[in-house]
Amino acid sequence: MTRWLGHRLLQAALTFAASLLLLFVLMRATPGDPLARLEGDTPLAPGEVELLRERYGLDQPMGRQLAAYLAGVVQGDLGVSIGHYPLSVGSLLRDRLPATLLLGGTVLLVNFTLGIWLGVLQARHRGRRLDRWLTHLSLAGYSMPSFWLGLVLISVVSLRWRLLPAAQMVDPLLPADAGTLTRMLDVARHLVLPALTLSVVTLAGTMRYQRAAMLQVLRQDFIRAARARGLTDRQVIWRHAWRNAVFPVLTLLGLWLPILVTGSVFVEYVFNWPGLGSLAAEAISTRDYPVLMGTAILATGFVVLGNLLTDVGYLLLDPRVRDP
Amino acid sequence: MRRSAPVLTLVLLACSAPLPGQSDRGTAVIVVGQEATLPVPTLISGRANQDVADLLFLRLMRLGPGLVTAGDRDFVPELARSVTRRDSLTLAFDLDPQARWHDGTPVTARDVLFTFGRARDPAIDPSRALLLRHVASVTAEGERTVVVRFSRVYGEQLYDAAWHVQPLPAHLLDTIPPDRLATAAYAQRPVGNGAYRFVRRDPGRQLELAGVEGFYLGAPKIDRVLFLLARDPEAQVNLILDGTGDAMENVSPAANIARVRDRAEYRVIPVPTFTVGYLLFNQRAYGDRGRPHPVLADVTVRRALAMALDRATMVRAAFGEFGQVAEGPVAQLHWIRDPSARAVTHDPRQAAALLEQAGWRDSDGDGVRDRRGVPLSLRLNYPGTSAVRASLAAQAQAQWRTIGVRVELVRLDGPVWAERRGKGEFDIDFSSASLDPSPAGLVQSWSCAGRAGSNVAGYCNPAVDSLLERALLERRDPRRLWREALRALTDDAPAVFLYAPANAAAVHRRFAGVTIRPESWWSALRQWRVTPGRQIARDLRR
Repeated sequence: MTRWLGHRLLQAALTFAASLLLLFVLMRATPGDPLARLEGDTPLAPGEVELLRERYGLDQPMGRQLAAYLAGVVQGDLGVSIGHYPLSVGSLLRDRLPATLLLGGTVLLVNFTLGIWLGVLQARHRGRRLDRWLTHLSLAGYSMPSFWLGLVLISVVSLRWRLLPAAQMVDPLLPADAGTLTRMLDVARHLVLPALTLSVVTLAGTMRYQRAAMLQVLRQDFIRAARARGLTDRQVIWRHAWRNAVFPVLTLLGLWLPILVTGSVFVEYVFNWPGLGSLAAEAISTRDYPVLMGTAILATGFVVLGNLLTDVGYLLLDPRVRDP
Repeated sequence: MRRSAPVLTLVLLACSAPLPGQSDRGTAVIVVGQEATLPVPTLISGRANQDVADLLFLRLMRLGPGLVTAGDRDFVPELARSVTRRDSLTLAFDLDPQARWHDGTPVTARDVLFTFGRARDPAIDPSRALLLRHVASVTAEGERTVVVRFSRVYGEQLYDAAWHVQPLPAHLLDTIPPDRLATAAYAQRPVGNGAYRFVRRDPGRQLELAGVEGFYLGAPKIDRVLFLLARDPEAQVNLILDGTGDAMENVSPAANIARVRDRAEYRVIPVPTFTVGYLLFNQRAYGDRGRPHPVLADVTVRRALAMALDRATMVRAAFGEFGQVAEGPVAQLHWIRDPSARAVTHDPRQAAALLEQAGWRDSDGDGVRDRRGVPLSLRLNYPGTSAVRASLAAQAQAQWRTIGVRVELVRLDGPVWAERRGKGEFDIDFSSASLDPSPAGLVQSWSCAGRAGSNVAGYCNPAVDSLLERALLERRDPRRLWREALRALTDDAPAVFLYAPANAAAVHRRFAGVTIRPESWWSALRQWRVTPGRQIARDLRR
């Protein structure tokens, strides 16, 4: 197992390094000068552009830029943002990461608790009215564009009913001396609509995966045997069937782990959620290379990590993988 | 010194003193689309930083209500309580002895000299150094008098000296090397001398300022200001509609104006801007500045293209009551603008005749004119981020088609559009310039000398150059000369000057004494107050 893990870690590191190189080259190859838009339509003075090129190392050949960047990455220095000068990319990512983790984490939590439960429920009631309704509802949610659903929720829940805030992560007027509970409740109020928007459009995937996996397992002989032994329905479903039907959903969790970092660009924009998704979108539109690289590295890291954790999860949970 | 003529600020509610027991103090939450990351003079880049810096730092003098940048009359004292013209090359500023930095230290001539030293150094602030190139020397006479000498006689001496420099505190900064200032602790918590002091900034979210008690030009009644960041225009409007925000600079897109107007708590105020939008004709070949443009180098063709567009209808469709047709490269607010000027009239028939005259005929009946086998076909570049420009570009394309001109619309990502514009890789470019209050910037964009810089279309007419230069130097009646230069310029049709818009500012109705200065949006905030009896929870929280 140690050997397998070492091999897998090496694979992950190589994937990460290759992605890093590819990202760097692709970003530099993309047309558009990052310094061309610093003053809107009014160009900067030529002297100023030269100063900025020097500051960001953009006056150097690409090979030298890459070497300098890699040397920085090794030391944990991801450079200085062009659009947010003089803030470092590291500090920007640190500022934005908690908001994204909170939103993405909540969505994953909803998906992999409610989604699994609903998927199991559908499998138990296969072909009946409840199954059909849940299928229709989840697919309707799946087919909705997230930004559109977000705008509808804002329009109805925030602006018409005035139940929840339309945007932001915290109340900007919250007193500096507000207690922890007040702050948590405030964040929770702001979290409801963006998390609901993302959950509604992604829940169907988990439900469908879980339903299909459960139906396959429920047809197996050992389930029939469990029922024959007089186990209750709850015991059969959760202790025997679900444990065997969780693997496809585990794969899905690995694939969706990057949501924690990338979040949803549209949802973050619509709800003015101060996360990494909106930071990345802004960096793309302004060609803020250092920030783009920083967010891309983080996202790549989570993709690689997600896949690694899925493989490790399989290894730990499924004896067939351990002893082929 | 103060001119009473054209009122460019909007005073929306007259004064009414608060009754005993009632307060007119309050908090303003301003929703903004760009983040102020470095609101420190000499480091400033972008409008967001300048808007915040204008609350933290005063100038020697600010522009008066007429926004006239030439001459010495239309200026209002700030750090300097008066200015004396000693001769045609020398101005002496008398600093107000009450002026203080937020740490309590008096503002002195040393601070002004220190800042001029940095602002005039091209290695520190190249853009500002260029603006101050005619300043020959800045010296102090005692603690309170600053003498500025110029190297040439011209109309905007006072404007250059008073407007482009916001003094920095020498006692806090003289030990910090200029190239370290941006990363120094001071830049993250600047100490200024204005009506507001810096409180805190949550990167990516908000920035908070507080009113300075006992501010010598009048303590602000709005004593807490929060700039709330929302990059998406839709999210900005939602923050107003759900009551989080109190004010925003420009409600957009136009459909949202009605939504804000439907809310009884808010008013929408048209505020003219220094912006002008135009379809710029490249005088040089696409991507090759060594050759003239095969079609657009001909002034007859350019005039025909300008004449073919129904600009009034286009501007009305795009901006409604918030836009005017631009008659030249000047915005609604420029003091040199001639409201009665009509540079180009809409006449498609005459436009077609001009094209015939230039040899462009539809010889093969395909609806597109041609000459010597080459079709009259042009590419129009525009940034995809601007919905207004996208809509106007489509209208222009349709109207040009009616006179036999084929125009391909090229929608580009912002940085790509800017890059192509800078390299001259366009036939027609949909430009929108946010200009300085001074018309001097026109020289850079429309003179032969400007071809090395912002004159990206390579337009050059020595006669226009000469008129612009005379207007710059004139001190007695510069308006007449500027208008003459503009007439000569628009006659050449280097562009179709399309729109000069106003912003649709949204402001909560509880505020009185609301003044919005177009040259510096929130700089009059200290004159705002809350109508007594109309305070809401955030105004009472101290």
